[in-house]
Amino acid sequence: MMTPAAPLACTDSRWGLQLKLILSMLMVGVVPLMVGLGLAFWQGSREIQTVNGESFKALAEESARKIDLLVSDEVARTSRIAADPLIIHELEQRRDALLDMTDDERRRTVEQRKEGWEAKDPVAVQAITGSTMAVLLQEYFSGAKSEADQLIPQVVRSATKMLYVTDIEGNLVTALTTIPPFANKDTVWWNGAFHHGVGQLFIEDVHFDERAQTYVITISLPIMDRIRYGAIGVIHRVIDAKDFFSPSIAPIRFGKTGHVMLIDHRGIVISCPILPTGVSLSDLQLIPLVTPLQPGWVSAPSDGHGGQSRSIIGYAPVPETSRATNGDLRNGSWHTFVWQASDELFAPIRHLLTWMAVFSLVSVGLMASLGYLAANRIVTPVRRLQAAAQLIGRGELLEPIDIRTGDEIQDLADEFNRMHRQLEAAFAGLTDQVAMKTQQVESLIHSTDQILDAVPTPIIMVNQDEQVQYINRVGRDCFQEIPKAGSSVALLDILPVDAAMREHLRTEFRRVRNGEAVGIAAEREDAALVNRARDPLAPSMGTPEPHSRQEVQIGLRRYRYEWFHMAGRNQGEDRIGLVFRDTTDDSRLQDQLIQAEKSGSLGTLTAGIGHELNNPLFGILGLGEAIEDEASLERVRSYARDIVQHGRRMAAIIRDFTGVTTRETSDQRQPVHLERELDQAIATLTGSMDVSRLTIEKTYAGDTTVLALPDQLRQAFTNLLMNAIQAMKGRGSLRLTTVLTGTSVVTTIVDSGPGIPKQHLSKIFEPFFTTKGQGDGSGLGLTVARRIIKKFGGDIRIESQEGNGTSCIVTLPVIPLSPPPQEASCTESISRSAPQPSAS
Amino acid sequence: MHRIYLSVCAATFSVIIAGWWSPSAFSAKERPGSPGIPVEKVAAYLYAVIKADRTVYTTEIVNRLQEKGVTTASEHWEQENALMLPAQFLQHAGKLAAESGSGIRYRLIGLWPIYRRNAPASDLERSALESLRKNPGQPITGIVTSGRKQFFQAIYPDIAVSPACINCHNSHQLSTKRDFTLNDVMGGIAITIPLE
Repeated sequence: MMTPAAPLACTDSRWGLQLKLILSMLMVGVVPLMVGLGLAFWQGSREIQTVNGESFKALAEESARKIDLLVSDEVARTSRIAADPLIIHELEQRRDALLDMTDDERRRTVEQRKEGWEAKDPVAVQAITGSTMAVLLQEYFSGAKSEADQLIPQVVRSATKMLYVTDIEGNLVTALTTIPPFANKDTVWWNGAFHHGVGQLFIEDVHFDERAQTYVITISLPIMDRIRYGAIGVIHRVIDAKDFFSPSIAPIRFGKTGHVMLIDHRGIVISCPILPTGVSLSDLQLIPLVTPLQPGWVSAPSDGHGGQSRSIIGYAPVPETSRATNGDLRNGSWHTFVWQASDELFAPIRHLLTWMAVFSLVSVGLMASLGYLAANRIVTPVRRLQAAAQLIGRGELLEPIDIRTGDEIQDLADEFNRMHRQLEAAFAGLTDQVAMKTQQVESLIHSTDQILDAVPTPIIMVNQDEQVQYINRVGRDCFQEIPKAGSSVALLDILPVDAAMREHLRTEFRRVRNGEAVGIAAEREDAALVNRARDPLAPSMGTPEPHSRQEVQIGLRRYRYEWFHMAGRNQGEDRIGLVFRDTTDDSRLQDQLIQAEKSGSLGTLTAGIGHELNNPLFGILGLGEAIEDEASLERVRSYARDIVQHGRRMAAIIRDFTGVTTRETSDQRQPVHLERELDQAIATLTGSMDVSRLTIEKTYAGDTTVLALPDQLRQAFTNLLMNAIQAMKGRGSLRLTTVLTGTSVVTTIVDSGPGIPKQHLSKIFEPFFTTKGQGDGSGLGLTVARRIIKKFGGDIRIESQEGNGTSCIVTLPVIPLSPPPQEASCTESISRSAPQPSAS
Repeated sequence: MHRIYLSVCAATFSVIIAGWWSPSAFSAKERPGSPGIPVEKVAAYLYAVIKADRTVYTTEIVNRLQEKGVTTASEHWEQENALMLPAQFLQHAGKLAAESGSGIRYRLIGLWPIYRRNAPASDLERSALESLRKNPGQPITGIVTSGRKQFFQAIYPDIAVSPACINCHNSHQLSTKRDFTLNDVMGGIAITIPLE
């Protein structure tokens, strides 16, 4: 049995599988729980609001009905008094008596009674409080007149502060006590109840009564005549509002704060178990919300009792009573108001939430514990598998993995075991193969090193940072610094070159590193340089830039070098290679060759000039000696003429040699007939050479005119023709052709001579190059001819195959047609003064 | 709308009453032969107008709008934004007529009133209601006095013409009789006209 490996215990900062499992379980449990709780609280609060609002509304309506019945009862009780025939009879008589009096009499009588009443005159007081009517009133008030089931409750009796009757002028007729005022005609209630004789119930809003010294409501009823035609008086009842309503309202309590109260349309409290009667609701903005004429409930911003918390308030108008308040529904109404403190109202849901939170915490704890156990059960075999996998990775697993969970993990363990067996089998053969391949690679590296060391030119490998990574044996021998193993040396540090060269090499290295080519341009420059070096007479183009060639001088040796780029393998960085070739010996040989060639040319030239001048010079010497001994004047003259002739010939030779350059500046070009000059050149040659076995074919385009110096043009042709005739050794066929092609004329001279060997073809225009024998030619003929033709804007090309003759092709620009003849003749006359050319 | 109508109604009464009650009426009594209308006839005229008004209100307004579901009639019509009951219509109109100062009074009375103020006020009214129950065809008239004042009174039967009437009286918690049927004589319309 294996044990979990030590590194497993410390799984650094990663979240282990066990932690993840536990957290997942908690998240799965807790998140829906929180969401559910929140939603439940929200929905619960809403429903509590609605349910309580509806309940409060129903309670308000019910309370309103109760108040209505209470008031109705009291109104009915009062109206029974008002309907008493005795009282009606008495008041009818008083009315008639008043009607019978004159205004003065009436005023006096009323005044007298009033004064008596206010002065508490016993007679006057007795007339009001002790009359038959007063006794009747007392009987009604005490319940003696009521039927058995209609006794006035004690509370109503004690709440009644005043009860009295007035006549049609509002004057006191009868009263229970001495408190009531005598004249009431100007009061609101009297006018409201008497109502111009029509009569109506009038219930006054709550107000403070000075005589009763308390907050009261009043009920005023008209006393109608016996046929209910018109009012003959008013019975007025002053009731202590609190005493009257409290027994009905105060007992309606629910919870600690829930209660009902009665307010009027101005928000003045008529009765409330908490607020005193007569005060207004604390929040005036609440009044319109709770005093509509329809019952309902509202979620108000305050509770009307001084609290500013949101409150659920049920309300309802007191329906029948409101019709009579201040005479009409439009003048005022009474309303019930049901309220409970929101703290108390929402306490159940808060308690529920608290309990749910507590139980949730317990659940979370349980989930965490059970989750830990469950996760542990899952994770332990996984960890054992992980440990086994590590052992397999290190090749240290000795026993098969033994996991018996009976699930996918056991299957996985079995798979691991099978995989382990297969791996062991596979690895057995693989180790030998790896050893063999390693040996092969090592021998390959060794042989590569040997090959590179065997290469006779230095090879250096450089990385991207110019650090030398490899240098072969020749390189190590050649360069001053040999990098030791492990230390890197910069490429330019091992190359002993000057600063300019270093900079040049560095620039090239960067270009190579960036994948640009550096060799080609330099090669081209190189080739041009070599070409120029072959012509010793060509004007010097200055010293060539040493660094433009891929050559470098290291010590006494000179090297050509070449960069090459090696792509890195296996994402390794690219490397740059530098191959050197020692060209010290090559350059020396080349220089020697050029030197030899130049010396050869000069020798030929000297020999040619010497030979040409020697013959006439010896002639002159011979003739001079002869003259010394000659007596005959005739002969002397003859010898002198010969001397002059020889002198002229020497002069001509020298002129020929020097004239190549000297005459060029002084000439004036003129239109020249090409064919005519060609014919003259032939004529000159045929006159001085043996051409008996030569056939000349002429194919001319016509009278072609070119702008040239006639003498020079003729000389050029003479040189070319002489070469051709000399090549044919005086026999064969010579074909002359002129062809007009657009703006130029092409003159072709074809001979049937032996042709020019290939190795000479490139040199034939070089000065002093000649294949002729000593004294036959100066080697300047073709050079002079080419210079002349080129001067006139044309060109000479020689085509030849050994054994098949030679073609000389001359191209010259033609003059446009119809040139002015005057000018032409003038130019021609000038040119004639020039010395005649002669063939060399 | 009906307020305007009632005003017109009241004005009509005023003209009629003024015409009948003016000094010229007295002089007509004193001078036999000059034209005059018997007070019974005046009451009959008034009753015709009152009855017609209420019938129009009951059938064309209350019943029609209730059937069409536009609105309902309710005792607490002010609070419930509804139509007033036909009986309330008559009572309010009567109150308005009384407040006009013309002297004319008319009101609904019954032997089983919901509110005590609508109970019969005099012996004439009580006996008239009892007699009308048995014989609704003929109004009961009589001269009544209040102190020294004399009045002519005519009591016409008030018949339950609409289901609304009997439904309300049979279900109202203050009602003392709950077995009314259609076309029952539920009470009477008492018209009182002063005689001096």
